[in-house]
Amino acid sequence: MQNVIKRNNVKVMGRGEQTILFAHGFGCDQKMWQYIAPTFAMNYRVVLFDYVGSGNSDITAYESEKYNTLHGYAQDVLDIIEELNLQHVLFVGHSISSMIGMYAAIQRPQYFDKLIMIGPSPCYLNDTDGYVGGFEKEDIKELLEMMEMNFAGWASFMAPFALSQPDDAKLTQQLKSDFVSTNPRVAREFAEVTFFSDCRSKLPFLKVPTLIIQCSNDSIVPIKVGEFLHKHIQNSKLLVMDAKGHYPHISQPLETIEIINEYLN
Amino acid sequence: MDKRLRKAPCGFISINHDCYIIEVNDTFLEWMGYKQADLLGTHIESLLKPGTKMIFHSYFYPNINFNGCVEELFIKVKNQAGDEVPYLLNAKKVKQGDSEMIDCILVQMKRRIDYELELRATKKQMEEAYIEKNIAFEKLEQIYLEIEKKQIELMEINSGLVTISNTDKLTGISNRRFFQEKLEQQVELYRKEGKPFSFLIIDIDHFKKVNDTYGHQIGDIVLVKLANLLKNIMHPEDILSRFGGEEFTVILPATNIEKAISFAKKINQEVEEATWQETGSLTVSIGAATFTEQDTETSIIEKADRALYASKENGRNRSTHFSEL
Repeated sequence: MQNVIKRNNVKVMGRGEQTILFAHGFGCDQKMWQYIAPTFAMNYRVVLFDYVGSGNSDITAYESEKYNTLHGYAQDVLDIIEELNLQHVLFVGHSISSMIGMYAAIQRPQYFDKLIMIGPSPCYLNDTDGYVGGFEKEDIKELLEMMEMNFAGWASFMAPFALSQPDDAKLTQQLKSDFVSTNPRVAREFAEVTFFSDCRSKLPFLKVPTLIIQCSNDSIVPIKVGEFLHKHIQNSKLLVMDAKGHYPHISQPLETIEIINEYLN
Repeated sequence: MDKRLRKAPCGFISINHDCYIIEVNDTFLEWMGYKQADLLGTHIESLLKPGTKMIFHSYFYPNINFNGCVEELFIKVKNQAGDEVPYLLNAKKVKQGDSEMIDCILVQMKRRIDYELELRATKKQMEEAYIEKNIAFEKLEQIYLEIEKKQIELMEINSGLVTISNTDKLTGISNRRFFQEKLEQQVELYRKEGKPFSFLIIDIDHFKKVNDTYGHQIGDIVLVKLANLLKNIMHPEDILSRFGGEEFTVILPATNIEKAISFAKKINQEVEEATWQETGSLTVSIGAATFTEQDTETSIIEKADRALYASKENGRNRSTHFSEL
């Protein structure tokens, strides 16, 4: 196997006994933990990383067949744990990463002590059975279209005859704009795997103690989803933060740190 | 708000850290059909449909927080009537005293978007055409492969037919048809390049008696055995054929009179010395001729025939060359 540390741009900091592994969600990278990770680094060993295809990961390690399901991403998590020989891991996942962490913890429960899910959703699409995920298929289509309109290289990539794709490293260097996805194909596939995944049937298999953190006014995930998760994950605790948005660790870092600390102690 | 900013030729919205609208200019209100009271205090996301909200969340939010600004984000904003209006959004985090806010400039993209949609529609058509072309091409390739396969099959059948039509059924050696072709080629070669060749007619002695005594079945066995024996004596370039009945012919390329005579004598000897269980013994008579400038395909056969006749006349089991007559 190739060097996992380099592949996933793994960063280790902090001096604690126990390890907290922070996993970013769709459209982001490990930078999103910058307001809360340093605080935890005082008492824990903190491990940050980018999923293959995101941030500064090794894009050449990306394979559609592997990463077109959440299992591929869960394998990234397990690879990092194994590579660093981590035990009793405290896993903090944001958004879709909560489900990725869940897959990893179902596969290898012995690696994990606790899971902390921030703004999780087992299924973003509404279902005919009455489940409200918050999105219709049309909305996801719209999202993909918006991404197409916003990312350099995306539109031309989608054309089957786009022959001259600048290589990714060059593209990222060239365009300093915020809206450069590392690779249009990867971004699109990550969007699809995120928004079309349905993990609901897997929830009962999670045995690792889990904290579900939900914003009272999450703009992406309806409040009912938190309750749904709590109901179906046996050993779980639901905590609703009085906050608007989907990124409490960015908008309310202090409160988020407090909540996580309280759960861990 | 400054009057010029209120009427500026772009939308201006200021939101607080939690993205609630604290200021909005007249231009934006006019464009969208809102009143100031509709928007002040509402969350910016209440103007976005789920798809846009998601992109806003995944990209606007982290970027404005970590980089302090967002440039050229394409979004769609709902107007009073609920329709989505396309905008290009620039935003910047600013500090005023203790509070932090985000200033957003919105430029309408209606015409630009029409143009872009046109481009995308064209692109889509091209994609479809491209895919269709590829499918058609694949089909053609398939057809081509099938044709190629059929052609190979045909060629195999054909070459099988050629072999069959050139082969003597009983003995498995070439037949008279094939011999005739080869003879023509030899004559042509002689005319073009002056390459000499000789020709033998081999006839089994008293073959009628073999048939009469032992039956046709034995006669056939003798013919096959003789054909095999002759085949084994031949040089690779010699062309042995069954001429008909108990007659065999040999074309001997690059062979002069002397060589032809000695080869014919060798045949006499080999046949005589071979074991013939069916008949006890067997001999052949041979007539030889060597092609000369005056000769034709017919004349050389005639000459060899006359030489063969002489061999028979002179007691059989021998060879005669036309030049000896």
